[in-house]
Amino acid sequence: MTATTPRLACQEQLLPGTTLQDKWEYARAAGYDGIELRGRSAFALRDRLPELRRALRDGVVLPTVCVDMPHFFGAFDPDLRRDAVEQMKSQLSVIAEIGGVGAQTPASYGMFSRRLPPFEPPRSEAEDREVLLAGLAELGAHAEREGTTLFLEPLNRYEDHMVNRIDQAADLIRAAGSPAVRIGIDSYHMNIEEADPAAAVLAAGPLIGHVQVSDSNRFQPGAGHIDWPVFFAALDAIGYSGWTAVECRLSGDPDSALRGVPPFVRKVAA
Amino acid sequence: MTAAPVAADAPAAPAATDADLRRAAVRVLLGNWTGSSTLPSRTLYPHQWSWDSAFIMLGLRHISPYRAQRELESMLGAQWADGRLPHIAFHPATPPGAYFPGPDFWRSASAGSAPPGVPTSGIVQPPVHALAAWETHRADPVASRRRGFLERVRPGLAAWHRYLADRRDLGGRGLAAVVHPWESGMDNSPAWDAPLARVEPAAAGSFRRRDLDHADVADRPTDLDYGRYVRLAADYRDHGYDDRATPFGFAVEDPSFNALLVLSEHALADITAELGGDPAPHRERAAALTEALVGALWDPGAGLFLCRDLIGGAPIREYGVAGLVPLAVPGLPVAADLLRTALGERFRVGGVHLVPSYDLTGPAFEPGRYWRGPGWFNMSWLVHLGLLRHGAPAQAAALRASMLAAAARTGFAEYVDPYSGEGRGTRDFSWTAATVLDLLSREV
Repeated sequence: MTATTPRLACQEQLLPGTTLQDKWEYARAAGYDGIELRGRSAFALRDRLPELRRALRDGVVLPTVCVDMPHFFGAFDPDLRRDAVEQMKSQLSVIAEIGGVGAQTPASYGMFSRRLPPFEPPRSEAEDREVLLAGLAELGAHAEREGTTLFLEPLNRYEDHMVNRIDQAADLIRAAGSPAVRIGIDSYHMNIEEADPAAAVLAAGPLIGHVQVSDSNRFQPGAGHIDWPVFFAALDAIGYSGWTAVECRLSGDPDSALRGVPPFVRKVAA
Repeated sequence: MTAAPVAADAPAAPAATDADLRRAAVRVLLGNWTGSSTLPSRTLYPHQWSWDSAFIMLGLRHISPYRAQRELESMLGAQWADGRLPHIAFHPATPPGAYFPGPDFWRSASAGSAPPGVPTSGIVQPPVHALAAWETHRADPVASRRRGFLERVRPGLAAWHRYLADRRDLGGRGLAAVVHPWESGMDNSPAWDAPLARVEPAAAGSFRRRDLDHADVADRPTDLDYGRYVRLAADYRDHGYDDRATPFGFAVEDPSFNALLVLSEHALADITAELGGDPAPHRERAAALTEALVGALWDPGAGLFLCRDLIGGAPIREYGVAGLVPLAVPGLPVAADLLRTALGERFRVGGVHLVPSYDLTGPAFEPGRYWRGPGWFNMSWLVHLGLLRHGAPAQAAALRASMLAAAARTGFAEYVDPYSGEGRGTRDFSWTAATVLDLLSREV
């Protein structure tokens, strides 16, 4: 039971078609309101600027970009870390230039898990925190200059060892102190990490800047067992008015799966 | 009139629009969720209460049908083998001393019929559960069927109703009796004053109240009454909660309790039919209960249903909201007269804030004290249903508006002064938020 309907975006790689315009036509017909871009490494998003500008001219709505790189701003290796920060700054600049709202990144992905051997990371928790705060401060300052927002995404314990829960992201963001850094929540990770996902949303409140959705099994919303009505009710209860981007794999026939999401989300968020 | 002090939980900022009010109500219910059920209040009532859960389901179903289903499944997890649904299922994460009387007092583990592993009380509360189960199913029939919700809860609900029919017809007139004021849910109603006066209070030093830690003493029952409550509960406990063996010092037929049983019996008929069974026995039972209710407790002179004291053997001539609740019963033969009473000077429904819990003109009326005058949202929700059911839509709309305004103004107070509209008791009260959410989900 919510008062507002979520603005729904679909990540670009899920949509059929070779151009953003083709994808947009499909997305609109399926009931999506926007397309979330994927930001690859080596300044790939910057190199796509002509394509993005053409898409914008043709009416394609591109609110956000989600990082798609092999290393991140929390990397153990200082050179990779530096590169990730530069990549994210570039992605923030691009998304600002095309009038979007922000860029999403985790602290790291696939680098280390405390739940898998060798269990003990090569860097201490205090050093992790120092690295993350430095990265968030630098990226936050850049986002502020560009008039956009960096979304820090907590990942589940098997994908990242540093930021798994919303309260950890909130703590880092408060400590980093930039109003241009917000939390990008993801229902799939929350289902694993949060004792009560709805309560976690209420607790973080206005610090939540972006939302990604996939079900408990990483498939499209509706394919698993997440309690979607309560998820959207909690977002509505904090007055969340940002984007909800579908980032998932597709179970069953991809076309039916993709077309099924908007009516499903509107029903469970109604 | 002094403002009610609010100790632990400050009220939320007043909600300006229906959308704001809805969001605030959702925040209350999400905030009071424990993972398997909803606390009536984080401070004053830190466990699962039986009839609270049912009223909470009526609102929770609009947020999450799944959580509403879980709410009842969790309650039924505390059901005794004899079918009784205890009035409290104690929450394991809450410290044992946080509420009195707690698990150490009730000692449910020593009663043969209680479930292992879940400490509970031994008394009951009004049977609103089948009604709440059916309404929860109706909120999302697809999700309900996928989880087999009704299949799962129907046997427990049927056993609960059977317990009331088999073990609680103490008057032999086809109605269920309550054996403790708390069983009515209207703990401190003036209707209990006379029957309670016969009860020897438990010694003042033999127990320690916890309710006054979180609420204003002026809003709560007196110490003397509390001693009597403790005595009645201890006697029941000391007879193993055996309804045939306990020499009850208190036994009353309460029209609200029985009217809610009628509503739930109709709901059980709907549930049974939905599952492909024969609803007729439940319809017949609902009809028989309605007839018994009117035959035994309707007072034509008062134009109201009265409680009957089974020990004293006479009607209790205190006019309370319990006597108005049968208005929610479909096909009530005396509805027109009861409607007149609801709109008359004793209750002034639509003219004061909520439905007063006790006769505004009665000798025991106190606008702020627990169940002795202030309006409650669950009772008002039932009277609202009755007004709609029996052709008083304008008055129903006025009552609805007063409930929404009071909830917004008081930060979901537990109860409300009918004259000033001031909030009383605790804030962020779950069934206040739940009944308001339900009203917001419909036009009238």
